[in-house]
Amino acid sequence: MYRYDEFDAAFVMGRTAQFADQVKRRLSGEMTEEQFRPLRLMNGLYLQLHAYMLRIAVPYGTLSGKQMRMFAHIARTYDRGYGHFTTRQNIQFNWPRLKDIPAILEELASVEMHAIQTSGNCIRNVTADHFAGAAADEIIDPRPIAEILRQWSSLHPEFSYLPRKFKIAVTGAPNDRAAIRFHDIGLQAATNAAGDIGWEVWVGGGLGRTPMIGKLINSYVPNEHLLAYLESIMRVYNRYGRRDNKYKARIKILVHEEGLETIKGQVEAEFAEVRGGVLTLPAEEVDRITAYFAPPAFKTQPATKIDVAYQSIIDPAYGRWLDHNINSHREPGYVSVTISLKPVGGAPGDATDKQMDDIADIAERYGFDELRVTHEQNLVLPHVAISDLRAVYEALVATGFADGNTGLITDMICCPGLDFCALANARSIPLAQEISRKFAEPKRQAEIGELKIKISGCINACGHHHVGHIGILGVEKKGGELYQITLGGDATEQAAVGKIIGPGFEAEHVPGAIETLVDTYIARRESADETFIQAYRRLGEAPFKEALYGNA
Amino acid sequence: MEILTGNELTSGGTVYLDASGTWVESLAAARVFSNEETAERDAALAATKAGGRVISLEIEEVTLEQGVITPKRLRERIRAAGPTAPLTLKGEIYDRQHLGEDGHVSI
Amino acid sequence: MAMPKLAHTPAAQDKLRSLGILALNGMFDEMDAVGVLRYAVSDVLPGDLAIVSSFGADSAVLLHLVAQVDPSMPVYFLQTGKHFTETLDYVETLKKHLGLINVHAIHPSPDDVKRFDPTGNLWETDPDSCCHIRKTEPLEPITEQYGGWVTGRKRFQTRERGVLPHFELTSDDRIKVNPLAYFTDADVNQYKIDHGLPEHPLFGKGYKSIGCAPCTSVVAEGEDPRAGRWRGLNKKECGIHFDFNGAIASPMTAATKPTLWKDGGFIADPFHEWTEADEPATASYKHVPLPVFLANRDAFLVTQHPLGLLVVPGDNIEQVEADLGRFVSVAIKFPAFSDGRGYSTARLLSERYHYANEIRAIGDILQDQIPLMRRCGFNAFVVTHEPTREALIENRLPEVALFYQPVGTTEIPVGTRPFLRRVL
Repeated sequence: MYRYDEFDAAFVMGRTAQFADQVKRRLSGEMTEEQFRPLRLMNGLYLQLHAYMLRIAVPYGTLSGKQMRMFAHIARTYDRGYGHFTTRQNIQFNWPRLKDIPAILEELASVEMHAIQTSGNCIRNVTADHFAGAAADEIIDPRPIAEILRQWSSLHPEFSYLPRKFKIAVTGAPNDRAAIRFHDIGLQAATNAAGDIGWEVWVGGGLGRTPMIGKLINSYVPNEHLLAYLESIMRVYNRYGRRDNKYKARIKILVHEEGLETIKGQVEAEFAEVRGGVLTLPAEEVDRITAYFAPPAFKTQPATKIDVAYQSIIDPAYGRWLDHNINSHREPGYVSVTISLKPVGGAPGDATDKQMDDIADIAERYGFDELRVTHEQNLVLPHVAISDLRAVYEALVATGFADGNTGLITDMICCPGLDFCALANARSIPLAQEISRKFAEPKRQAEIGELKIKISGCINACGHHHVGHIGILGVEKKGGELYQITLGGDATEQAAVGKIIGPGFEAEHVPGAIETLVDTYIARRESADETFIQAYRRLGEAPFKEALYGNA
Repeated sequence: MEILTGNELTSGGTVYLDASGTWVESLAAARVFSNEETAERDAALAATKAGGRVISLEIEEVTLEQGVITPKRLRERIRAAGPTAPLTLKGEIYDRQHLGEDGHVSI
Repeated sequence: MAMPKLAHTPAAQDKLRSLGILALNGMFDEMDAVGVLRYAVSDVLPGDLAIVSSFGADSAVLLHLVAQVDPSMPVYFLQTGKHFTETLDYVETLKKHLGLINVHAIHPSPDDVKRFDPTGNLWETDPDSCCHIRKTEPLEPITEQYGGWVTGRKRFQTRERGVLPHFELTSDDRIKVNPLAYFTDADVNQYKIDHGLPEHPLFGKGYKSIGCAPCTSVVAEGEDPRAGRWRGLNKKECGIHFDFNGAIASPMTAATKPTLWKDGGFIADPFHEWTEADEPATASYKHVPLPVFLANRDAFLVTQHPLGLLVVPGDNIEQVEADLGRFVSVAIKFPAFSDGRGYSTARLLSERYHYANEIRAIGDILQDQIPLMRRCGFNAFVVTHEPTREALIENRLPEVALFYQPVGTTEIPVGTRPFLRRVL
């Protein structure tokens, strides 16, 4: 993992002290809310419906046990004993008091964390594949580049007042688990003819009210020019991105309206000017940062094999967990474990202080002290010896996070919705809970197989509904809540935006509608191996539409 | 009919302007402005704004039936009562945010 | 007043030449006074350059530079008839000490004095006219003999001088060379100490800027060094510095608080807003909107008035790349604090086009943005927001003084990490 050097530490402390001063000036009345608001936002502090909300960055989703314990400590000391993991691999606290914020940030700084740029029209926390540095399919660990981007983008003087927020995601694997095609910039590791590893650059993807799939703007940028290339994109966006309408201000609109070729021309012209300049990244620097992410000291493991079929018979819950929550590792004898934060009836992504402490223990004991936050609001132990799986499982059972449901229908992404969010039009957590209860039966979940439901409480799409195999969007209609259903979205390398299938449903009818869709899929699939999304692609929307709305 | 609501600066908690010009937690205590009282309403808003201790000020439409104030928007009903979703595992209903000792504000 | 002036035959209005002079301003290190002067003597105006010195408190520094570069350069001393005797002594001291061999005293016309200042009290009733007959008028015939002048003016001295460059072109196509433009009070004193220069006898008694006896008083600690000149009178410059057709003279008539923050202080702004009524041929100390400049490019290029450029969001600075040398100031407008386009404009100006004159931010600026703006190349800010003004004056801008990215023109030692952080 990356460790702060003296400079990083001083930088974060400097920023913390700066914000502490600003809070003091606000509380004393020296500063008005109008002046304070942009400052608190740049430090991740929102005002939501009921209270302030503090969003803390987990850079590229990687954290240590100690850092997780700090979240538990903050939850216990300054909040209500829980935190909410987000689709941006961050954590949010929903109840902090303004006067406590400087103390919280100071405590965070002591474990090399901060809330810088988790809001505002700047480059947000860079996200990455949650199996980075572990996945068997990985070409290269994307975290060193993500860390370099974190440093480059932190309080960047030119790009702190962009037309709109800006999100970058990086993956080092061909199987995209970081949704890079739905980010303002997505980077995917690529190999050139000489066998060197560089980056495909995708630009102009995003969700929100105008979902767009990112477009390939450059199929190979070597490490050494990556910062110069990204700065070129940022400058073009900063100068030409729309500022007349905040709903059209994201780079996806610029790319869409001007056309990829125009933007590419502008970026290339800018790149020609800055290429080879101060932003050239020497290999030694990449190596220096990469060294922080060296794999842990894996031991040669005895050839442990777990007979999943057998385990499923003697302990079905464990069998399901093995089936769904384990990801293959590049190191023989090891796997990555997904800790599902989606227990039946729970609020997706929430964890209590006790649970966070326990998970930190497990990471320290069995997982080389490493944890990840996934954009699907789960946690990951990236490096677990196969021989320790049973012990890890049992420890997780004690935390209440041992559901073997990763990738299944109850593993939903869900935004905070109208229960918390000042922007929301409809609630989403209660809906997720209802759906989860309806499909609680593990056998039923397994029978359905891979199915991603994603729920947003408003058009801003924090719950990624556009890329849910089934997406649910809450809207306001005549003072009440109404939910639109979309089908066919996909956040992976087979990126697709879901289509609205018909008129919306009232909350109490949504779980039933989901069941109808699921039944239709099961009835029409070619075999149990054909997933929901595959069946949808083959069948189109017609049978689903007919099942939901009749043959009218 | 309307009420004035906002969030108290230090706690962020939801508050309502009552008849005595104090910002309080209780929706039931909120002063209801009739359609003829827009001048009083705007004066109270301006005075609060000048104080700077209540933020995110809004005018909300309500109904008043048998002495019970009910906001028209669901959003406002949730603001008044706290989140509706039960918390993971602990199974508790979330309570709304309460004001701290330093959270009592008058115009 | 004096005899009718002979019609001045202007030197060839060579646009390239004028632009070339302005471009010289990027060439020298700010503190490289000797370099500036040597270049002026040997390359710009060989044999055609002179200096007027008041032999005041700071004059020794400039004269020392002259003595190093060319001890035979003509040095004119305005013998106004109103000097302290200490000053007259000091003329002789410096001549000897520095080995200056070409010092001339210039006297006012006796006719003028008799007619306009028969009692010798004109300084009291009308200091402008007093300066005029004792300084401006006598100097005029001398001025016309030379293609350029060396002056000892410094940016810090009075607030109107915040934009002073090393080389200026006057409206009558002469060149003013200001080797000490970037020197601060401390620099001047250090220079005097480093080179063992004799002090003006009055300097030790609290006179920091010394002119004629009646109009000079003692300056208090911390006061503007020139505050002692014309104390109590609404007058800051003596007229002989009013080169650009007197354009610089106007700022002091404005009674408003200075809003231009530059070089560590709020100073009076020599610039005025461009209005519809302005004409390209006569505009001076105006920030010309970029589209107006483009539409009248030729007309603006043939004049030599000091001009600024106004860039608003959406303007493309690329369109005036070739003409940037024409401007002593570029004003970048922030119509709303959230509109960050100006940051890119400033970086292009300073980093890509190496524009080294004033880049000022105008409009809606939060104090928290000023540190970021500085890193992008802004060196001046027009600020009206009172808390921001206070933060600037008290030097407590909310700022993280450490940063990661190589942004700006003075970054990154060779061979270090490319996105190396630097402490301010």
